[in-house]
Amino acid sequence: MSIAYSRKKKINGIILDILIALVVFACVFPFAWMVMTSIKTRVQTINPAIWIFRPTLENYRAIFQKRDLFLYIKNSLVVVVFTTVISIALGTFAAYGLARFQFSRKEDVAYWILSLRMLPPMAVVIPFFLFGRFLGLLDTHLLLILVYLSFNIPFTIWMMRGFIEDIPKELEEAAWVDGCSRYQGLRRIIFPLIAPGIAATSIFCVIQSWNEFALAFFLTSFNARTVPTTVTFFLSVLGVIWGEMASVGVIATIPVLIFALFVQKYLVRGLTFGAIKS
Amino acid sequence: MKKSKEHYAFILPSLLTLVVIVIFPTIFLWYVSFTNYDLTMGWSKRSLVGVSNFAYLAWEDKDFWHSLRISLLFMVFTVVLEFVLGLAIALLFNRRIRGKRLWMSFLIIPMVITPTIISLIWKLMINTEYGVLNFILSWFLIGKINWLGFENAHWSVIMVDIWSWTPFVTLILYAGLQSLPQEPYEAAIVDGATPTQVFYYLTLPLLRPMILIAVLLRSIDSLKIFDVVYGLTQGGPGNSTELMSMHIYRLGFQHTNWIGRASANAIVLLVIITFFTTILLRIMRKSTREGF
Repeated sequence: MSIAYSRKKKINGIILDILIALVVFACVFPFAWMVMTSIKTRVQTINPAIWIFRPTLENYRAIFQKRDLFLYIKNSLVVVVFTTVISIALGTFAAYGLARFQFSRKEDVAYWILSLRMLPPMAVVIPFFLFGRFLGLLDTHLLLILVYLSFNIPFTIWMMRGFIEDIPKELEEAAWVDGCSRYQGLRRIIFPLIAPGIAATSIFCVIQSWNEFALAFFLTSFNARTVPTTVTFFLSVLGVIWGEMASVGVIATIPVLIFALFVQKYLVRGLTFGAIKS
Repeated sequence: MKKSKEHYAFILPSLLTLVVIVIFPTIFLWYVSFTNYDLTMGWSKRSLVGVSNFAYLAWEDKDFWHSLRISLLFMVFTVVLEFVLGLAIALLFNRRIRGKRLWMSFLIIPMVITPTIISLIWKLMINTEYGVLNFILSWFLIGKINWLGFENAHWSVIMVDIWSWTPFVTLILYAGLQSLPQEPYEAAIVDGATPTQVFYYLTLPLLRPMILIAVLLRSIDSLKIFDVVYGLTQGGPGNSTELMSMHIYRLGFQHTNWIGRASANAIVLLVIITFFTTILLRIMRKSTREGF
């Protein structure tokens, strides 16, 4: 009986392993298909039976030479870097205030801030579109940087609050006893300890801002256009250029994937705004 | 406790920024929703029209009700399926596996790829004539499916959303499973509970806070969805996939330029999302106080 039992257990284990392999395959396949499509010729992209072929870099050449991808990457970088730096600077201080002081209605304030992170982009974009029109700010980096702060600041405050609360208060208090002011303590004790948290939070801000579409789509047209909005080039009914689309996809995705691997440890924390620390 | 104002110096810069870039625009959105403003007229020509934009949505705009209905259906289907699949996959991973960390890191891919890119790569994969999905299905003698046709488009959008966000639920619930206390399980085994009983009476109740947070976060996000729909179907064919954000876009920016009516619709979406956000935040507040 025990042999039958252990055999059954072994077969079960194999079935479960196969299921895991299927899940991993399903997650990876569309990405792999995109990479493959990006190195196919135009005729090959519309033939799903071709899995092994001679790769071409023609599509990559085309998107940089014909489609100004450099400009859009530059725009994305400018917007992403500024909105991230401003969010981290403002948000970390606010997070410290929430983590280390007691004041009335503190949690109300904190949760009110978090609720702003949930706003639908369509509710944010209409007023920003009109302000942009009135002030002549449409299609500028500035407008996009500002509007991205609306989701990055609440996110940063919540993430950083958790990281700061993880550090024992006593460390800071010891520094104060030694004659440090609050700001000196913050700089010498807290800051080095939360540096990994700042790095992780920054990466989350970068990924969110880099991937954002709805706001960029309405608020930019050419000069400040970001990478995700370039997909509209490929939506025309006539002759979808799948190879070029896929190479834009690969270029846009690779940095995000690399960044995501760095923050894998904090992923659950980031996805739940610090509510679940794994 | 001594009354100190020191915290203001830390918190105020962020608060003021948020008031300027979020609160003020939201108030402005409410204001515009009560005007007849459209993009073809000068701002000074606008006039207040009371609730007539809302009345228009409610009584005249059949597409509004359609978009509300399919948005809620979209939310229910994606959230339920992502929860069931996400939990199943989390349980699959919740045992000894060689190279588990590596396998799990592949789950991140669908979540972090730029959503518009996801929509286009899927658009290629589910093309009726030369999509790889129909090609693979043909091995199993399944005929060509018109994934983006009138009948199926809504399901295809749901399918893509499930692909990209099931790992989100999996990661949260896996983290939950890993943090469960051991003692109740030992007690259950001593008492002779079957695995099914352990799952229903122990695992699920213990996971409750994580499940609620994951489900509510997904509900809110799925109501907000714009990018994937825009890339995949642009609301079509007809208006079969015109979810609420797409309808707001069509009212305000495509063809009609009715910003007033689009704002009213955006307010409706805002109110629905606020409802779910309130529940989510109440649960988060409760569970952080009690601790996980």
